[in-house]
Amino acid sequence: MYFEIDSKVREDKGLCMLRNETHRFAEEVLRPAARKLDKMADPEMVIAEGSPYWDALKQMKKMGYHRMFLHPEYGGLGLSAIEAHIILEELGWGSVGLATAIGVDQVPPGIASLFAMGDIIDNLVRPWAEDTDAKFHGCWGVTEPECGSDYILATQESFLPHVAELHHGQVRAEQCGDGWAISGPKSGWLSSAPAATHVGLHVVLPPYDSLANGALCIVPLEQKGVTKGKPIDKLGMRDDPQGELVFDNVYVPDEYMIIRPPFYEFRVGQVLCLTSSFMGALFTGLARAAFEEALEYSKNRIQGGKPICEHQAIKQKLYSMFEKVETSRYYTRKVMEHVWEKIYVEGTFDASSRHALCGQIYSKRSAFEVAFEALQIFGGYGLTKDFLVEKLFRDARAGLIEDGTTEVLGLSVAYNIIAEY
Amino acid sequence: MAVFPSKDWVEAVLEAAKKSEAYQEAAKDWEGDFLCIVEGDAEFLRELSRKEVMVGFISLIDMIPAQDRMKYQGTPTGKVFEAIGIPLDVSLKDLNADEVLSKVSKLSAGDVKGVSLYVWADFWHGAVRNMVPVAPGEHQDAAFKLSGTYSAWKLMVSGKQDTIRLIMSNKLQLQGNMAYMMKHMKAVVLLTKEVFAGVPID
Repeated sequence: MYFEIDSKVREDKGLCMLRNETHRFAEEVLRPAARKLDKMADPEMVIAEGSPYWDALKQMKKMGYHRMFLHPEYGGLGLSAIEAHIILEELGWGSVGLATAIGVDQVPPGIASLFAMGDIIDNLVRPWAEDTDAKFHGCWGVTEPECGSDYILATQESFLPHVAELHHGQVRAEQCGDGWAISGPKSGWLSSAPAATHVGLHVVLPPYDSLANGALCIVPLEQKGVTKGKPIDKLGMRDDPQGELVFDNVYVPDEYMIIRPPFYEFRVGQVLCLTSSFMGALFTGLARAAFEEALEYSKNRIQGGKPICEHQAIKQKLYSMFEKVETSRYYTRKVMEHVWEKIYVEGTFDASSRHALCGQIYSKRSAFEVAFEALQIFGGYGLTKDFLVEKLFRDARAGLIEDGTTEVLGLSVAYNIIAEY
Repeated sequence: MAVFPSKDWVEAVLEAAKKSEAYQEAAKDWEGDFLCIVEGDAEFLRELSRKEVMVGFISLIDMIPAQDRMKYQGTPTGKVFEAIGIPLDVSLKDLNADEVLSKVSKLSAGDVKGVSLYVWADFWHGAVRNMVPVAPGEHQDAAFKLSGTYSAWKLMVSGKQDTIRLIMSNKLQLQGNMAYMMKHMKAVVLLTKEVFAGVPID
């Protein structure tokens, strides 16, 4: 296990135990399940009954990982930011795809636990928190076929003067009696959507003039008018089943409209701060996994009469990879502490989006660069399915696009820097 | 322990704001007044049937000068005042709360629907410069308007629910410059946690 430079963490027996236990779980449960899922030729098998996906999901829920982002007063674990980061890095080490599943699982109950009150807490959030059998499974409905990453920009307050220039959104909600009727498509990149029971869904509201004039609502998916797409066949993160959702006049009660005007326009970006800090920790784990695979391999693989780690070219690569893993960990951990403080401790919902998004971008880019070099160290063997590094490389590549391309995330940060630095 | 809403409660809130260094620091850049609109509901009617609440309520209404209070005439609130014997044009200091209470018992929840009480609060650089009940139509140009039922307000001022959650859930409705408010969320949160919740209510 890696040396922890933060003495407050290193000398805390509870945190060390948490790290070791989560690592064991990632190694014994997530990684084997992820490799099986990754090798399934038909993506539909990933979510079929009896698939390791469901077993891994249930085991994660038994561990309580589906409650990490819930408000502590409403079923959340009440973790500190450090605890959350340690857990997520380990889950990402085991499988970024399955860790993403437990992340998006928390979007519907998480937003309700943070912003809602009344019956929805007792009828949805608490039962969800108590569920260890994956009766509930959530996903996050953001991207749409005609406005892929537009939502990323629209959630950035500094971009608001320009938001009307973007697409005005395809999934629309209109008032319908005491509730809302929702229609429109979300694109095929929604993690866990083919397997989900509920979605935390971004919709636009009348007069449909801007993505910023919207709401984040919860939609139960087992109802008339909802069509779930099949899991898509893709390059990386194959253990993360992604698919489209299409809504045709689907009814949602008013209390399921969680983040609505006027807060939606200015505060939905805070959800992105949470997910960014989440992704930052996961991809730190992936980077570390790739680094550790390469390090181990380089000590055993003999070329030129000695282990390849004794060649200077490999030493340079190992150093560079180590540097990226370490900087990724401590920057994303700091970001998570900040986001945690603003959302769960102070409750002011004014976390710095530029830092949160920067953490996500840095971590994903580092993970890809580390995985790239790791595969290079493996040489031809790195291209085969026999070694984990091949999967890690594909997963890291997918990360540069998933949850917003790193380019669009960076653009969003740039608007913020120019307006507010 | 104060009754919400009452003169004692208003004074206690002003005092709590003066004592809270955390709020003063968080709100040091804040400039903007609030018109708070408390709407009658079933819980309001229930609470009014308690003598201490009725006494507190009368004390609050009495803070509005009689000539201004006349602006309630003809409104749903004015009609309820008339029905329970709260005069609009004279001081309420000698009003017999028991007599008012006996008339409250004859009201139904439907009678208080449409009742609106207005409290204007002037927040300025960490201080609450003024907080007073006002008559209908006054301070309509307030930077922010926050309205909701008595039950929702009580959840907020008691600190049982935070303002953001109440607004998100549509229990309280907010109008005003949201971008400005978002830049001062810590002040808003501490106003609830430190100032309002710092005054225990009965």
